[in-house]
Amino acid sequence: MWKKDSSEGSDRFEYLQTLVTEFQDTDSEEAKEQVLANLANFAYDPNNMENLRELQVPDLFLDMLTEENANFVEFGMGGLCNLSMDPECRDVILQGNGISLVTNCLSNQREETVLSAITTLMNLTTPSSRAEITDPAILQCMLRFSLSESPRLRSLAAVFLQDCCSQEQVARAEQQMQGQQSAVGIPLPKD
Amino acid sequence: MPVVTVLLRSLLRYGPLHRGEDLLCSHTQPLTDEQPQQLHFRHFNPLSTLNYSTQSTDVYKHHEQKKICISRPKYRDGRRDRAVKVYTINLESNYLMIQGVPAIGVMTELIQLCALYGAVEEYRPLDEYPAEEFTEVYLVKFQKLTSARAAKRRMDEKSFYGGLLHVCYVPEYETFEDTRLKLQDRRRYIIRAVRNKAREKEQKEAVNEKPTSSEKATTSETVIARYEKTVSSSSCQASLDKDRGTEQRLTLNQAPAAVRFVPRTTHLENRKRRMEEAADHSLTDVTINNEPLIGPKLPEPPKLDMEDVSLNTTANLIRNTLKKVESVPDLKPVEKKVKPRRRI
Repeated sequence: MWKKDSSEGSDRFEYLQTLVTEFQDTDSEEAKEQVLANLANFAYDPNNMENLRELQVPDLFLDMLTEENANFVEFGMGGLCNLSMDPECRDVILQGNGISLVTNCLSNQREETVLSAITTLMNLTTPSSRAEITDPAILQCMLRFSLSESPRLRSLAAVFLQDCCSQEQVARAEQQMQGQQSAVGIPLPKD
Repeated sequence: MPVVTVLLRSLLRYGPLHRGEDLLCSHTQPLTDEQPQQLHFRHFNPLSTLNYSTQSTDVYKHHEQKKICISRPKYRDGRRDRAVKVYTINLESNYLMIQGVPAIGVMTELIQLCALYGAVEEYRPLDEYPAEEFTEVYLVKFQKLTSARAAKRRMDEKSFYGGLLHVCYVPEYETFEDTRLKLQDRRRYIIRAVRNKAREKEQKEAVNEKPTSSEKATTSETVIARYEKTVSSSSCQASLDKDRGTEQRLTLNQAPAAVRFVPRTTHLENRKRRMEEAADHSLTDVTINNEPLIGPKLPEPPKLDMEDVSLNTTANLIRNTLKKVESVPDLKPVEKKVKPRRRI
């Protein structure tokens, strides 16, 4: 779709810049959703990652995670899932308090959002961030997910547990869960 | 601790805990905000590929065909009509589900069509999946994700023996190993692609810096030098964040949006000069030659010695033949035999 010539790089950058500008300027929720989805999809192509980084799109996606609109959260989370595969974007996300914002998405209603959050956490795992990402609370959450009804959730949580943590960490989290088992099943108060 | 509370709440949203053997009962809470339509038998075993016993046939949200978006402004309206949807590596899969296949015994033809996009590992009809009347649903497992991606792009919404195909990814059929490998492959691909791009950028910068740093006072040189200055002064007005991007663009392509017009003759002169300089440097600059060469070396163009006599062999042959022809006395013009015309 994109020709390879000397001006292709700047064309691409300008187009992405126009999208970001529209997102910031428009009042229409619908237009915002469309542009956000566009940006998240563009984030899938490694050719765009540098441009998106320069346009501060990782921060834009992070801001979406605390929005009311469920589509904003889903698309933003999807965008982060795509971008976080790039090491430099990953660092930007980590600096922007990414781990805690993404962890909050683990309790989202939409399966797609949760799946994107799990994958993003895996991508954000570095030697320095590993301790935060393998927090016992997160591990327990993943253990529950690995027993879930949904096959996708089960597989992805299992991959997280195998690739991001040691067996000792998982065993410890399991033990803690056994202790809490009597409390599970009692419905928590609704919001 | 707030995090724990949040996470505990999430457990209940995803239904009560099920051990492996409890999967026979249907879950009590919906997984998503939209209730998936459930059928009565649910013996799904996540550890088998293409489980030939009855399998979970929930109609998941990602199977549904979303409405086409019609309200996009022209500048971002693509060539094809598309819904508003985000694709991540979780949604993509080497497993595809194809709905709307006319039930007229065309399974072989369907799989042959799929095979155009890449090797098909396995396939089977999904008899349990809800289908429109007179249509069938198939599950197809491709060897590679890229093949599945291409097949989905090309086959979705296409006519097939009178029916309209609807193709979607079905990552729920992946095994644990499938998912793990998928993520690993994707990660490796991104890192490789990013590395290649960085290398290309470095090479481009190395080439572009030479003409601007040289002292030659040609017309084309002065155009570029002035052009960069004008743009760099305007870029100071731009925000701090974008500055770096603008300047980087300048070093890469000497024609960003603001002042794009550079006469064609200038481009041609630039290209000629760059080629000459590259040729000079390839002879003198040892460091360029020492860069690691990736991939097979192209055969070098055969070197011609313009002084070689053999280059003129054909020309000489023709010249000699012409001389011989001219030296032969004129031949009699061939007389055409005139046949008497028959009159009927």
